[in-house]
Amino acid sequence: MIAAEGLGKRFGDVEAVRQVSFVAGDGRVTGLLGPNGAGKTTTLRMISTLLVPSAGTVRVDGIDAAREPLAVRARIGALSDARGLYARLTARENIAYYGELRGMARQGIEESTARLAGLLELGPLLDRRTDGFSQGERMKVAIARALVHDPPNVILDEPTNGLDVMTTRSLREAVRRLREAGKCVLFSSHVMQEVAALCDEIVIVSRGTVTATGTPEAIRAAAGCEDLEDAFVRLTGAATHEP
Amino acid sequence: MIARVLTVFLKEVRDALRDRRTALMVLAASVIAGPLILVLMAQFVSGLEERALTRKVRMAGAEHAPALVNFLQRADVEIEKAPPDYAERVKAGRLDAVIVVPGDFHERWLAHEETRVELVYDDSRTESSPAIRQSERLLDAFNRETAFLRLLARGVSPSLNKTVKVERVNTATPRQRGAAILMIIPMFAIMAAVLGGMTVAIDATAGERERGSLEPLLANPVSTLAFALGKWLAAWASAALVAAVTLAGFVLAAELYAERKLPSLLQFGVPEYARYLAVLVPLAALTAALEMLISTYGRSYREAQTYVSYLSTVVAFVPLVVMFSGGKEGAWQAWVPVLGQLVALQRILRGDGLSAFDALVPAALALALALAAVAAVARLLRDERIVFGRS
Repeated sequence: MIAAEGLGKRFGDVEAVRQVSFVAGDGRVTGLLGPNGAGKTTTLRMISTLLVPSAGTVRVDGIDAAREPLAVRARIGALSDARGLYARLTARENIAYYGELRGMARQGIEESTARLAGLLELGPLLDRRTDGFSQGERMKVAIARALVHDPPNVILDEPTNGLDVMTTRSLREAVRRLREAGKCVLFSSHVMQEVAALCDEIVIVSRGTVTATGTPEAIRAAAGCEDLEDAFVRLTGAATHEP
Repeated sequence: MIARVLTVFLKEVRDALRDRRTALMVLAASVIAGPLILVLMAQFVSGLEERALTRKVRMAGAEHAPALVNFLQRADVEIEKAPPDYAERVKAGRLDAVIVVPGDFHERWLAHEETRVELVYDDSRTESSPAIRQSERLLDAFNRETAFLRLLARGVSPSLNKTVKVERVNTATPRQRGAAILMIIPMFAIMAAVLGGMTVAIDATAGERERGSLEPLLANPVSTLAFALGKWLAAWASAALVAAVTLAGFVLAAELYAERKLPSLLQFGVPEYARYLAVLVPLAALTAALEMLISTYGRSYREAQTYVSYLSTVVAFVPLVVMFSGGKEGAWQAWVPVLGQLVALQRILRGDGLSAFDALVPAALALALALAAVAAVARLLRDERIVFGRS
């Protein structure tokens, strides 16, 4: 479970994120929805302890991220905005490196790699060097690397960015299976359909702050729109000039 | 902590071993730099020795000085007639020294009047100096003999003419003379330590930023100090390996080639090799750590490479400063990184003893500074501007 409470982040004079609060529960998929530059990535970086918040707190499974960042990292698997792989290592070696960094034994890493290869349809890629992988293939390896330790909390920052239809579909399937396994899945997207198709809970972020929270139905009701896309447009304030 | 450091180290080593740039560096160091330079130096030095050994002078107008010619012949010196354009040839470096005898030499010499010869040379060419000195010595000897005979003919003791007799004692052993010319080995050894860790140091820091693999890496529950230590150990290993391979090239070349050509001048065998490594391995720790620290500021491999090239320029300047400052050797030199190592390496090559102070102070200092640089890298990896800064 991930709980953000009054999160804020300043970069010099720019207030990138202010007063962001939400709870992402276990066995649920929570979508952070907002236009580009709304502060989604900054928020996710604060949750994965890579950025220190200027204000507010993050708790992951009840652990304060500011006090015990390493313990929080151990309970999170995060696909970050940057998802570079080591081109001279094979997919399997890339995944194993992260497993070793998390203190896993060789056997555990092998089992985990086999399980993730099944989940993400990575099988034929495993023993090839990642140099020359397609964007979708790189994405799958990056996700497998982030999940090698079977974390209870999964953070995915714009996971479908730049992926083709087939890869997107298999990724959605993987997210559903993570939910079935009882994980807390928090992912960000600027694509409304993406969120509508997957999420149990939506957090709409606009200009660094939360403008609406709830189930897709609740969001539609709050915005007074039948269509989720209209609700998104209204709630992110992207169409304030319209009547 | 130690297990994580080892994990990072092994990953970086594996990554580097698959990198063609590392292979090229090792190849360039071992095959090209060491032996090639040594062979060229050996050629140069043996050329000097040959010129000094052949007792030959070039004369213009030898026919005007039968007495001098007679003296030289008695001294077993071969006399060669200088070509008419000797002055240009000396200027161009094709002749080392020419003794020019004027037309009235013999008459004046017989009349015991002041007699002159000209010695034409260009002392800006080091390789000419043995021939110049030889000609000078021979003319000197001729002078002394003439004076000796004339004084004797007048019934004066020749020793009156010599109030102070100078006896030359050259304290340089043949080995030291070789080392003076072979300053180049310490310089190459130090540069090998500087260049050898570069690829790994840059790839493990700026390379991670460029690939976008730094952010996910740091999301692992591992302290940045463990990352910095593991990466540094890999860069250090690479630098030490390149230095070892380069020097092995020197040993091999000295064994196969130079030992035969200049047995007296160059001794760079296994004992010297081991002492060299003892000096260079701690130095490699420092250069690898500094390169990492500098590269951490680089956003791309190329940018970091530019910064690191400034560092190698500074290091390359140290031997030059020593050569031109002409400063006396002293204990203070041990306290200056790179300079301390340079002095130690020179002493080893000269066959001088290396005191514990000379060996341990530079090594301890290098390791301490290296650890400080690694700690600085660990701190930088916690800096948001470094991890996420793209502009």
